[in-house]
Amino acid sequence: VPLTHEREEELITIRMEGEVGIASAAELKELLVQALGSGQQVRVSLRSITDLDVTAVELLWAARREAKASGSAFALQGPIPPMVLSGLLQAGFDEFAADLDASEGSGENQ
Amino acid sequence: MNPAGNAEQFKQSFREEAREILVELEAALLELNENTADPEIVGRIFRGLHTIKGSGAMFGFDQLAAFTHNLETAFDEVRNGRLPVGAELIDLTLSALDQIRALLEEGAGGPPADPEACAQILSKVRKLAGIPAQQSAREKAPPSCPVPDTGPIREWHIRFAPGPDMIRNGANPFLLFEELRQLGGLSLRASMAAIPPLAELDPERCYVSWEMVLATAAGADAIRDVFIFVEDGCELTIEAAAATEATARALEEPRVQTPGRRSYDKPDNVSSLRVPAAKLDQFVDLVGELVTVQARLSELAGRLDDPEVAQVSEEIERLTSALRENSMNIRMLPIRATFEKFRRLVHDLARDLGKDVELTMEGADTELDKTVIDQLGDPLMHLIRNSMDHGISSPGVRAANGKRPTAAIHLSARHSGASVLIAVSDDGNGIDAEAVRRSAIEKGLVPADAQLTEAETFALIFQPGFSTAKKVTDVSGRGVGMDVVRQRVDSLRGTIEVVSKPGVGTTVTLRLPLTLAIIDGLLVGVGDACFVLPLANTLECIELTRADIEHANGKHLANVRGELIPYLRLREHFNIRTTRPAIEQIMIVETEEGRFGFAVDQVLGNCQTVIKSLGRFYRHVQVVSGATILGNGTVALILDPQRLAQDALRAAVHGPRGRPVPPPIALHPGVP
Repeated sequence: VPLTHEREEELITIRMEGEVGIASAAELKELLVQALGSGQQVRVSLRSITDLDVTAVELLWAARREAKASGSAFALQGPIPPMVLSGLLQAGFDEFAADLDASEGSGENQ
Repeated sequence: MNPAGNAEQFKQSFREEAREILVELEAALLELNENTADPEIVGRIFRGLHTIKGSGAMFGFDQLAAFTHNLETAFDEVRNGRLPVGAELIDLTLSALDQIRALLEEGAGGPPADPEACAQILSKVRKLAGIPAQQSAREKAPPSCPVPDTGPIREWHIRFAPGPDMIRNGANPFLLFEELRQLGGLSLRASMAAIPPLAELDPERCYVSWEMVLATAAGADAIRDVFIFVEDGCELTIEAAAATEATARALEEPRVQTPGRRSYDKPDNVSSLRVPAAKLDQFVDLVGELVTVQARLSELAGRLDDPEVAQVSEEIERLTSALRENSMNIRMLPIRATFEKFRRLVHDLARDLGKDVELTMEGADTELDKTVIDQLGDPLMHLIRNSMDHGISSPGVRAANGKRPTAAIHLSARHSGASVLIAVSDDGNGIDAEAVRRSAIEKGLVPADAQLTEAETFALIFQPGFSTAKKVTDVSGRGVGMDVVRQRVDSLRGTIEVVSKPGVGTTVTLRLPLTLAIIDGLLVGVGDACFVLPLANTLECIELTRADIEHANGKHLANVRGELIPYLRLREHFNIRTTRPAIEQIMIVETEEGRFGFAVDQVLGNCQTVIKSLGRFYRHVQVVSGATILGNGTVALILDPQRLAQDALRAAVHGPRGRPVPPPIALHPGVP
C-alpha cells in the first residue's frame, strides 16, 4: 500500500510512496477526510512518489481547497520528484504544481 | 472495489472488443484482396489496427500494441498511396492477425504466442513497408496518427471532459496528451472547477476537464482518432481556432471545415449494449419459469371461475407471451459473423491446396438463436473443408473438364417456417454414390447386398466409421469430419440433406430450429399421459373412427381428402395400456418424409412450452426432444415428430424393430 500515516501531537502526516493512482484512491480519500476532520495540522508527503494520477490530484486539490476555506493548516510536502512534476505540467496541472512549490518550504521547515 | 480484479475485468473486455475487431479486420482484408484500390477499406483496416494498438497499450498488452504498431504503420503507407496493396501484404497481415490473436489469448488461458513467428512477420512487414529496422516497436512509439504531408498548420481548440468512468475503465488521460503531442505543438490547462467537495467526491472518477490548443497540419478526424478509446460518455469539442478559420474553410473539405461539437455519446453507443451471454441465458431461463407459472395461473383461473381472476390471468398471459417473444428476439443474431469467418478459411485453404475458389453468400442477415449460431461454426467449417478438399479440383483439372477454373462455394441461409435452412454448395465433382457404397461395404458399415437409395448412400458419409477412413480414394476421404457435422446437427435437433450430382456439385443443407429454449406446442393426451407436439410442424387434426380403421384393413393409413397418410398410434408406440376411446384424433404433421399422422386420444390445446432437457441419462432417447412442466405440475414429454415418423416408416419397411442401420438423419434427394 503506497499510503501510510502517522499522528503526532498536533500533526498528521500522510506519506505517499511509489505509484499513487486509482488503486489507492478510495484509501487516500478516507485518510484525507479523517485528517481534515481531526482539526489537527495535516501534512502530505510527496517525496517518494513515482507517479501521481488524475484521481490523486483531484483528491489533494479538493482537500487543500477545503483546508484553505476552513483556515486549517494543510501542506503538500515536497520536494516532488522531477519526473512526476514534469508529468503534472505536461497534463496541464500547472496551478496544482505551482502550489506544490510554494508549500515545499513549509514542509521542509518541519 | 478490488483493483486487481478490475484490471482483469478491463483486460477481459478489451479482449472481447479486440476479438470482434480482429474478425472485422479479417473480413476487410479479404475484401481488400478483391478490391485493392478501395481507400475506404484501407481506412477501415487502419482504424481497426489503431484501436487494437491504442486500447492494447492502455490495458497493458504492451507486446501486442508494439506488434500491431508496425502493421498500422504499413497500412498508413498504403493509405498515403506509398505502398501498393498486393497478395503478399494481405497474406502477411492475415498471419499477423493470427499472432495478434495469440498475443491476446495467451493471458486468457490460450497457448503462449510464438515470439519467433512474431519476429519473422514483423521483419517482413517492415521490409515491405520500408520501415527502418531500428524504429522497432520497443522504442517510443512514433506518431500513430501520422501528420499528413500536405496541409497548412492550423490551431485547433479542443475541450475534453472525460466520461465519468474513464479512469475506472483503465484509461489514462495523460497518454492522450502524449499522443496529441505527436500531431503537433500542444498547450493545455486542466480545469479543476468541477471537482466536488472532498466528502462527496467519488475517488475513482475523473472530474477534471482540459482546454487545449493544438497546432497541427492534421485534420479534425485525425485529432478525433486520438480520443477513440475514451469516447464513451466523454464530451469532446474540436474547433478550428477563429483566427485561422477562414483559411481553414478555404482549404479543407466541407466535412472538416465545421467539425463543431461532437459528443461521443454516439447513437451507436446508446442504442446497443454489450451484455454477457450468461446474463442473457439467465434472463431467458427466468422468462421460461414465468411462462410455466403463468400456465399454472391460467389453469387455476379456469377452475376458479372468477371473472376478476380470469381477467388478471389473461392480462398476465398476454404480457408473458410478449415478454417471451421479446426475450427470444434478444437472443437472435444474424448469421453474418459466422459466415464471414469462412472467408479467411476459404482464402487460406485455396492458397494451400493450390485451388482457385470464390466464396459467395446469401441471406447473411438471417437471424438465428445465439445458442444455435454458437454451435454452427464447426459443422460449417467441416462442410467447407470437405468441399474444398475433395469436392473441388485444381483450376487446371477444372478447365480440362470444361468448367470455369475458379470454383464456387456458396453459403446460404433462409427461414422456412420454424426452421432455418443453411446450405453449403459447391460446383465441384459431386459425390460418387457407387464409390461411397463400395467403401461402406468394405468397412462393414452396410451388408454387401444392401439395397440403398441415393439418400441412404449419402447418409453413410456422416457415419463415424467413414470419418476415420484412410483416404483410399478422393471420394472415400469425403467423410472426414462429417460425423462431427452430424453430431452437432443432431444435438441442435436439426437434420441434414445432401444433394449431389457427379460432375456438377454438391449441396449440403442443414435444417435447424430457430430457437432451442421455448416452443409453441400442442398438448395431446393418451390415457393419463400428456405429450407435446411442436406446433410449427402441425398441419391439422382429423378424427379417426372405428369405421375408418376397418376401412384401412388394419393398416395404419388415414384417408385425408383422398390422400393416404401413414400414422403412428402413440398409445402403441409408448405401450400405454388404457382403453382406447371410440374416436381418436390424428395430428397430421409435416415431416421430411412427407405428411405423417400421430393418433392420440384427445387434443388438449395450445401451450407455450419451456423445453427442459431430460438430462444425460436420456440422451439416447431420440424421439423425445425434451420435457416440459404443465400448469398442473405434471411433466409432459416433448416429442420429435421427425424422428418418430422416421422410426415408424423404417419399422414399416424393415419390419417392426428391424435391423436398420443407416443413421437417423433425414435425407431427401431432389431438394436443393
